[in-house]
Formats: sequence, structure tokens, C-alpha cells
Amino acid sequence: MNLILQRRLLLLTALFLILYALVLTLSPAVRARSWEVDYRLAHWGGLLLWGVGFIGLDFLSARRLGEHDPYLIPLLALLSGWGLLTIFRLDVTLGWRQSLWLMVGLLASSGVILYPSLLSWLQRYKYVWLTAAIILTALTLILGRNPAGNGPRLWLGCCGVYFQPSEVLKLLFVTYLAAYLSGYVKPFQPLSPLLRPTLLVTAIAVLLLIVQRDSGTASLMLLLYAALLYAATGRKRIVLLSLAGLLLAAAIGYFSVPIVHQRIQVWLFPWEDPSGSAYQIVQSLMAIANGGVFGRGPGLGSPGLVPVAHSDFIFSAIAEETGLLGALALFTLWALLFFRGLTIAFHATTRFHRLLATGISLYLGLQGLVIMGGNLRLFPLTGVTLPLFSYGGSSLLAGMLSVTLLLLISHHPDSEPLPISDVRPYSHLGMAFLIFSLLLALSAGWWSLVRAEGLLARTDNPRRALTDRLVRRGSLLDRQGRPLNESLPQAGGYQRVYHYPPLSTLLGYTHPVYGQAGLEASLDDWLRGMRGNPALLLWWHRLAYGTPPPGLDVRLSLDLSWQRMVDEELGNFRGAIVLMNPQSGEVLAVASHPWFDPNQLETGWEGWMKSPDAPFLNRALQGRYAPGNLLLPWEEMLLGKSGIYLPSEVERIQGLLLGHSAEGGALRVTPLEIAPLAATLNNAGVKPPLRLVLAVNTPQQGWVIVPAEGEAQTVLSAAQASTLARNLTSPGQTFWEYLAESHDGEKRLAWYLAGTPPEWSGPPLVLVVLLEDQAGDTARQLGRSILHEWMMGKQGAALTK
Amino acid sequence: MSAVLVLVLRLLMAAALYAFLGLALYTLWQELRQHAEMLTLLRIPTLILNSGQESHTFQKADVLLGRAPGNDLRLDDPTVSAYHARLSFHHGHWWVEDLHSTNGTALNGERIQTATVLVDGDSLQIGAVTVHVKILPITR
Repeated sequence: MNLILQRRLLLLTALFLILYALVLTLSPAVRARSWEVDYRLAHWGGLLLWGVGFIGLDFLSARRLGEHDPYLIPLLALLSGWGLLTIFRLDVTLGWRQSLWLMVGLLASSGVILYPSLLSWLQRYKYVWLTAAIILTALTLILGRNPAGNGPRLWLGCCGVYFQPSEVLKLLFVTYLAAYLSGYVKPFQPLSPLLRPTLLVTAIAVLLLIVQRDSGTASLMLLLYAALLYAATGRKRIVLLSLAGLLLAAAIGYFSVPIVHQRIQVWLFPWEDPSGSAYQIVQSLMAIANGGVFGRGPGLGSPGLVPVAHSDFIFSAIAEETGLLGALALFTLWALLFFRGLTIAFHATTRFHRLLATGISLYLGLQGLVIMGGNLRLFPLTGVTLPLFSYGGSSLLAGMLSVTLLLLISHHPDSEPLPISDVRPYSHLGMAFLIFSLLLALSAGWWSLVRAEGLLARTDNPRRALTDRLVRRGSLLDRQGRPLNESLPQAGGYQRVYHYPPLSTLLGYTHPVYGQAGLEASLDDWLRGMRGNPALLLWWHRLAYGTPPPGLDVRLSLDLSWQRMVDEELGNFRGAIVLMNPQSGEVLAVASHPWFDPNQLETGWEGWMKSPDAPFLNRALQGRYAPGNLLLPWEEMLLGKSGIYLPSEVERIQGLLLGHSAEGGALRVTPLEIAPLAATLNNAGVKPPLRLVLAVNTPQQGWVIVPAEGEAQTVLSAAQASTLARNLTSPGQTFWEYLAESHDGEKRLAWYLAGTPPEWSGPPLVLVVLLEDQAGDTARQLGRSILHEWMMGKQGAALTK
Repeated sequence: MSAVLVLVLRLLMAAALYAFLGLALYTLWQELRQHAEMLTLLRIPTLILNSGQESHTFQKADVLLGRAPGNDLRLDDPTVSAYHARLSFHHGHWWVEDLHSTNGTALNGERIQTATVLVDGDSLQIGAVTVHVKILPITR
């Protein structure tokens, strides 16, 4: 009966893993949205080894053990197989290594099943085993290495085969405690003699681990010690004392040991240093958030972004690819393993067996809770593995041997269990485990549902840049529909190409390393397809591909021909030119020189950042310049020509004209905010709202007009406007113009405003020229030549449409 | 197209995982029910201990005898150790077991070394104190 159940569960496990492997194989096709890809195949080899191994273990358990717990082998198979495939998904080389270790673990487990007398050997020579494990761990102080290169040197071995003694130490420590405590049958013995030898051993082991900088394993051992002692004696005081001790140790560590301080700091305030010490945990939370409910699917997430995802952070990899559903299943599997262990302890026939089964359940259960809780930021991070799951030979071997020992204990021909004197410690431990599992489930839900949106929208989420390579990002078009920048499919995915670099300071860039700037940043929602697409489409793409749908094109008011012409005119001058339609407020050209080439960010970044010319600065948009007499015509018109103005009056007028006044004593204006003011002369005194974005191309309704932001504002009366325009038209000229020079410290500034005459029948235009360190004449010549060109009507006529 | 296929496979994968959990939890629940049924059938025969004047009736599987206050049956006699002997019911019988006491435990006059089966009418010598054992048959 039990064997049938075991085989049914194993079949379901195999089904799950085969489906997982199948999805993993096909995942490149989904990513590339094409069948012509390199499929992932390596993990089938690992899965084959896994299958052969567990068929063997199943037959062996049926032949040699007869009646035994039917859940353990399927749980072992599911956890180690799921882990193996996850490791293959992260790194094929590590996957092969883990497959070999799995085989070693299965052989070792078979050995234990074939020679069950091992259990009494463990009990009899408890001090020998423990001493050996402690000596091995101590050896790492002298001969220790770290296969990853740097970091704590916790491994022994050479030539590619490494072993972490502290993993085995944990198991042998539990065995020792169980053997020692089982020798004491008297239930009401005074505590201290019972404690002395175990306290000594625990202290040695924990101190050793602390010296080794393996504080995670050390705190885990303390917890194990307390829990097992509580199970054996039923004294609550032990648990409370140990917890107090652990808190005290954490407090002392916080103030004196840098690594403990850092871990606790990062746990409490991860958002303060998300790119430094808290990088791992923040990335882990983003991975969990990216998983959502259903997960991105095996091979379809980006769990490799979290450092050491194959080991300490394997849980976040699982959560990203199988989602909240997978995480909850994992918690349940963990609880199943823990409670099966306790059940086996209840049915054990000797006290040693009972305590050993309890100890092993606590060891696997606690370590799992601690590291999954660490990945979820429920507890401070401790560098331990997720047993059976994580990459690492010693960890896998220790986990598999633990489960096999449980299997041996569960097999007893004499079926009468030993009576239990006090059942409360067990129910308390079980209750605590359940509460912590529930907390894990709640925090997994918190990060993957409640906080997911905020986390994924963070600019330090590398998945955003990754999806830009997988999905076409929308283009920015000029008013005629000519692309200014575009995402073109290349070998490694979409590549952003900027067709007209001189507009770089306005359009900005989007780059995996340097982030986003300009319109690429402010229009990101549309360009990335997060806005403007129907909700159902968004949902489908997120579910099926884990990315947003293709991005939307955005049409700007800029005219590429005029932009070219203006850029040519501005040439090597430092300054800005803005061309605007005074009636609609549409910006036709924005030049800011010098500029940078967004196609060359990798090579140019350093130099541009340091350059005194500040090529990243958009002088039209962000350059704040002293206006000098620039506002004088408007002030005179509104306040009268002759008088000396009161400062409060001037301030009021500036507020009316610009919407802001002097900050810190000196008024600063940008060329782009002057353009609507100049437009008042051609627009009957009304300041039009600035328009740069005209329309967005939605998949359902085609081009949809984007309304202007802000409202038209009347500054002058129509009569005042036409008077002012007439006053500013010099004799012999057909257009109005105004020149103002100012100083900003040492810097000379030349402002030149001009516009088509109000009675002009062609397309109207106002322009603003600002030059740094140039005489007013230069600015005037520049502006006049642009306006002449416009009024000649060569290209202007096309703009009336 | 590939996305639809993979999505179906992903759903099946999740279904297989939850089928595993469902089967495991369902069989565990069944086992629990069977256990509960078995336990209602399995009853402990009532144990009555008489150490002189008064009788004590016990309806549990584990009874401790000794001089210390924590015992189920306190025997206030200098020859009795603090935790002297333990009576427990398992394998269908009541057993007596000496807890390494100073003056030993005897069953019907014979000193016991290991756990020994008790039957109705036995008498136990806990140090110098004699305890008469009465075991009631299980009434259904």
C-alpha cells in the first residue's frame, strides 16, 4: 500500500520535472518569438541521471526496507530534482557538477540503506564522529579555500573538487546531541549536568564557525541546539535563554563585527544602499516581484541577475520563474518534510531514534526557513544553503544523508512506538514552524503582489534594459513621421539607434548602463508599451512573455528639416535656438550646442561628463540664464514707459509673464520658456501652451492626439500686442525683433527674439536665440538668417498643414 | 505561437506540482483519520495502586513513583528515592521499570533489573513501601 503511494508520488514528481525541462528547452523560442533558436538541451542529461538514480533508490527501498515512510523518497526526489533543473537553468556547468554530486549522494544513501547498522554506530561513537567533523572544520582555518576565489574560506579540497565541512558538521552535531541526550532517561533530572558536555561541544563548534566568519551556520547551530534540547527535556527556559543569547550575540555583533553590522543594517534599511551592500537583497526582492503569481516560467525570467542565485539565493530564482504558486508549493513541501520527520520521531522505537529524527527535521526545516526568510527579507541574511536545493556537493550530500537516516528510522518491524512522556515540546516546535511558514508565505505574497509594481518600476531594475533588447521600443518621429531614433533588430536583440544625434540633449537616450534621459525617459511609458496598450494585451504579454507588448511610436512637433537648418546655423557656437509656432505653441526646432552622440555613450561618456562645455545640458530646456533687459518691452507695455519701477511691481509682472520670479535674488530664465512669451506678439497677447508631443500611435485607434499640457494665458491685450510688435519692427524690416545682452558673472549672454509680422499671411513663427560668450550682433545675424529663410517660404509652406 | 504552447506546458507543470501536494496531503489526512479511529479503539486498562490506606486510580500510559513532589504517586518514606520507578503501558501490557533507585524495586518479592510485565494482583516493593497493583479489564 505504502509502496504504491511512494511510486505514485514519484510519477507525479517525474511528470513535473519533465514538464519543467520541456518548458526550459522551449524557452529560447519564446524569448526570441521565433522557432529558429538554439534550444536548451543540457539539462535533459541531468534529468536522465536523476531518473535512473531515483528508480534505483525506489527499488532498493522496496527490497531492503519493506514498510517505510512513503513520502520521504518522493520529497527527496522532488526537491533535489527541482533544484538540479534550476541550477542547470542558471549555469550548465554547475548543473553537471550538481548531477555528479546527486549521484554521489544517491550512492551514499543506498549504502546507508544497505547497512542500517550505521545508526547504532553513529550512536556508539558519537564523540569520534563529532571530533572528526570539528577537526575537519578547524582544518579550513589553515587549508581553507573558496572555490569562488575570494570570500570566507570554508572549503577543503583542490583541483575542482571542494568540500564544505561545516555542512557535515551540522548533521553530525545533531547526531551527537541525539545520542548524548538519549542516554538520559530520567525525566526530572537537574539541568546543569545534562547541559555541561553539550554546552562545551556547542561552544567549541560555534566559536570555530565564528572564527571562520561563517556566522550563518553558527547561529543555525545555536538554534538547533536550543530546539533539540527543548524537545528532549521540555524546558521552556532553554529556548528563551538561547533566543536571548542569540539576540545578545546579534546586538554585540552589530556594534563590533563589521560583517554582522552590515548584514543587520542591510536587513533593516535595504533601500538606503540598493546598489552597494544591499544590492543582493534588493535584486532578490525584484526577482520575487518579477515572478508575480504565475512566475515567468522556467528559462523565461532573469534570475541570473541576483548574485549567487545558484546557492544562497536559489529561492529567489525559483520565485521568479515559478511565481507565488511555486513559492507556496515549496513552503508546503518544506512543511511536509518537517512534519513527516516529526511523525517518524513519534513512531520511533528508541529514544535515540526519536531524538535523531527530531534533530534532522529541525536541521532541514530550520535551515530552509532561515535562508528562504533571508531571501524574502523576513530575517537578516545568513549565508546558508537551501538544503537539497542549492548548488553545493556537501550541502546536497548532507541533506540526502539526513533524509535517508529519517527513512531508516521510519522502518521498524516492531511497530510499537516508545511512549512519550511529554508531548508539548513537539507541538510547540510544530506550531512555531507553522507560524514561520505562514510568515514566509505572507511576505512572498507581499513582495510578489503588493509591492511588485513599485519594485519593478525602479530604475535599478536591470530587467527593464533586458526587455528593451527583446521587445521593440517605440520610435520618436518628427512631425512628418520621419524617425529620429529607432530600435532595430540585431543579432543580440534590439539595438537603439539615434538617427539625428544633434537632438540628443532633447531626446535623451536609453541605455542598459547609463539609464535614461530626456524624452526617452519622460515618454518611457509609451515607448515601452506600458501605456496606450489595452490592459488585456499588457496582461497577456506579461503572462506569456514576461515583457510588455511592443512599444508605441510617439510623434513630436519637431520638423527635422528645420531642425537640420537651425543646427547648421548654430554650428560651433555655445547656445540654444528655439523655433515655435506662436499660435499652436508647437515647438518646431530645438537646438542646443554642443551636443553629444548617444550612439557612442560607451566611449564618450567619461569625456562628456568632465567637459566644461557640458554637452549633456540641454541649454534650451535646462539652461538657466540671466535675462538682462529681455523682459523690458513687456514690462514697459504693462507698467508704462517712463517711470522707475517698484521692485514689488516688477516681481508681480515677472510672475505674470513667466509664472515664477527671482530665486535667491537673481532672475533666471530658459530659452524654451521665453518662446511662448515671444509668441504673445503674434498671438494677440496670448501665451500659448508649449507643445512638443503631438500624437501617439496606439494599436487600437491609430494615431491619438496628445493634448497640450497647461493652458493658454492672456498676458497682453490684442492692441498692446500689435503695438509692441510694431514698435519692435525696425524701419526697413518686415518682421519684429528684439536684442538683449546680459551678463552672468564673467559670462556674456546674447538674447535675440524675433517673429513674423502679425499681419503675415504665411505660417507664423517666433524664434529665440541665446548665445554664450558672443556679441549681440552674432545672435542677430543668426536669427535674421533663419527668419529670412522661413519667410522665403521654401519649406514653411509645408508646415501649414 | 511558442508562447501559447509554453504557457500550456507551464500550467500543466503547476498542475503536476499541486497534484503531488494534493495527493500527499490527502493521503496524510486519510492516515490521520485511520489513526484516530484506531486510537479510539485502543484503550489503556485502568491502573489502581494501593500503598496502604488509600487507592489511586490512573487512566494514563505513564505513571511515576517516588518521594519527590513531581511524581504521580508520592511515597513519603526515607527508603524511597526521589524518582524511584516508572509504570508504563505499551505493547498491550503494563510494565514496571526501576529508575536506578538507591534501594531498588521488587515485584512480588523479587528484585527487578529490566522492565517487567505487571499483572492484576501483583505487589510492588518500592524501597520499604509495598504497593498493591490492580488492573481493571477494558470495558467496551
